[in-house]
Amino acid sequence: MTVPVLAQVVEVPSNVNHLFDWPAVLPFGINRVVLLMFLATLATFLFLYLPVRTPRVVPSKMGVVVETLVNFVRNGIARDTIGPESAKYEWLLIPMFFWLLFLNLFEITPLIHFPVTSRMAIPALLAGLVWVTFVFVGLKKHGLSYIKHSLIPPGVPKALLVLVIPIELLSTFLIRPISLAVRLFANMIAGHIMLAVFFLTTASYFVFEPKVVAFAIPLAFAIVITAFEIFVAVLQAFIFTLLTAVYIESSINVEH
Amino acid sequence: MEADAAALIGAGLAYGLAAIGPGVGIGIVVGNAVQAMVRQPEMAGQVRTTMFLGIAFTEALALFGLLLFFILFGAGG
Amino acid sequence: MAPDLLILAAEEEKSGLFLILPDVSELIWGAVSFVVIVFLVWKFAMPALDRALGDRQAAVVSQLEEAEDAKGAAERLRDDYQRRLDEGVQRADQIMESARSDAESLRQEIIDRAEAEAVQITERARAEAESERARVLEEARQEITSLSLDIAEKVVGTRIDASGHQELVERYIRELERETAE
Repeated sequence: MTVPVLAQVVEVPSNVNHLFDWPAVLPFGINRVVLLMFLATLATFLFLYLPVRTPRVVPSKMGVVVETLVNFVRNGIARDTIGPESAKYEWLLIPMFFWLLFLNLFEITPLIHFPVTSRMAIPALLAGLVWVTFVFVGLKKHGLSYIKHSLIPPGVPKALLVLVIPIELLSTFLIRPISLAVRLFANMIAGHIMLAVFFLTTASYFVFEPKVVAFAIPLAFAIVITAFEIFVAVLQAFIFTLLTAVYIESSINVEH
Repeated sequence: MEADAAALIGAGLAYGLAAIGPGVGIGIVVGNAVQAMVRQPEMAGQVRTTMFLGIAFTEALALFGLLLFFILFGAGG
Repeated sequence: MAPDLLILAAEEEKSGLFLILPDVSELIWGAVSFVVIVFLVWKFAMPALDRALGDRQAAVVSQLEEAEDAKGAAERLRDDYQRRLDEGVQRADQIMESARSDAESLRQEIIDRAEAEAVQITERARAEAESERARVLEEARQEITSLSLDIAEKVVGTRIDASGHQELVERYIRELERETAE
């Protein structure tokens, strides 16, 4: 009896797909997700550029934040993982980290509430780019022996090679990019579903029984999970960038 | 309809079972990382980075299970 | 209630792969966005950031150099003062030392001179006393000689040749003196 009322008031999605299904609103297949990508691109650029646009000896507060974060990606992720050659790969790592950070943080940004990375497009795109990068780096550095070294780990008995080579082939050239993309995508989709479930539950309880304060329970969960999702958003951007650095490093030093 | 039901049950089982192993695995990773940090606090930063890497690798398996859940749920729902 | 809800809004169904396969238009626009952000970051943001960092580094380096210079100057000044202070102390020590040795030698000199004077005075006094005694003795001896000659003249009744008998009388008196001394 109250179901239609509820459906009208809070528009509970019938299927989890509906949380992620955005029809195109503009030509060329531009839907809400694509618009949010543009927004994230703009936000990333402004975040990195505006605070440091005018050079000064004592930086502004945002300038300090930006410098600290960029130095963290440069030193904490790139140099500590890749080593002295890390500057050659900063072109990929720095924009990737900040872009992913904004795309992820849209999950909990008020009025947006949608992580663009919970759609497979960007994780798949970036994982593909990472795959191309680390294979290219390996081939450029070691030629064809890169393939040989990455398929045959040192110290494996000859008899086991039949087993080891397919496993290494799968894990290095297939599982790596797929797990890279899926890790980011699935984390964000799970977070978004969790937030949707708790906030919609809060809304339903509030609509059905506003006098019983039962809605406070899912609301409390929703708040806690929002905080957790901030952590996850930052962590996943960090992990994606760190793993990219790790894969590039493993291509550079493939011999051990 | 019965195939749909089977797909829905399978979806639940797929994610539930896929979460067991990574759950135990992440516990082991973090537990050992905490031990390492307590034993050598000066290495805590490096251990923490490695711990997150380990968690990421382990967690991927549970996330594959989550994907399977979506596939089966979509097929059944 | 949940099944009812599911049925209520289950109009259009998409396959289970809808969620996990990338949408083509999103892929293309994502690629475009990524190219744009890489370009923007490396064309504008990173140069600005590096310039800011470089300027700051240069400023810090020049400030460090200035501080280094100032420190060097201060150290030189301090060394200079220290050296002067050391010299002053040394000089004061020297002066004290020389004054002390001067005083010592002066004292010694005064004492020596006083002693020498005392010795001289005593010596002179003794010499005076000696010469006085000798003179008195001589006078007495001459008196006695002349008296003896007078007595002898009286006794002999003739005039004794004073110069002839002088020697005789003096020898006699000397014998007398020797006897009295014994």
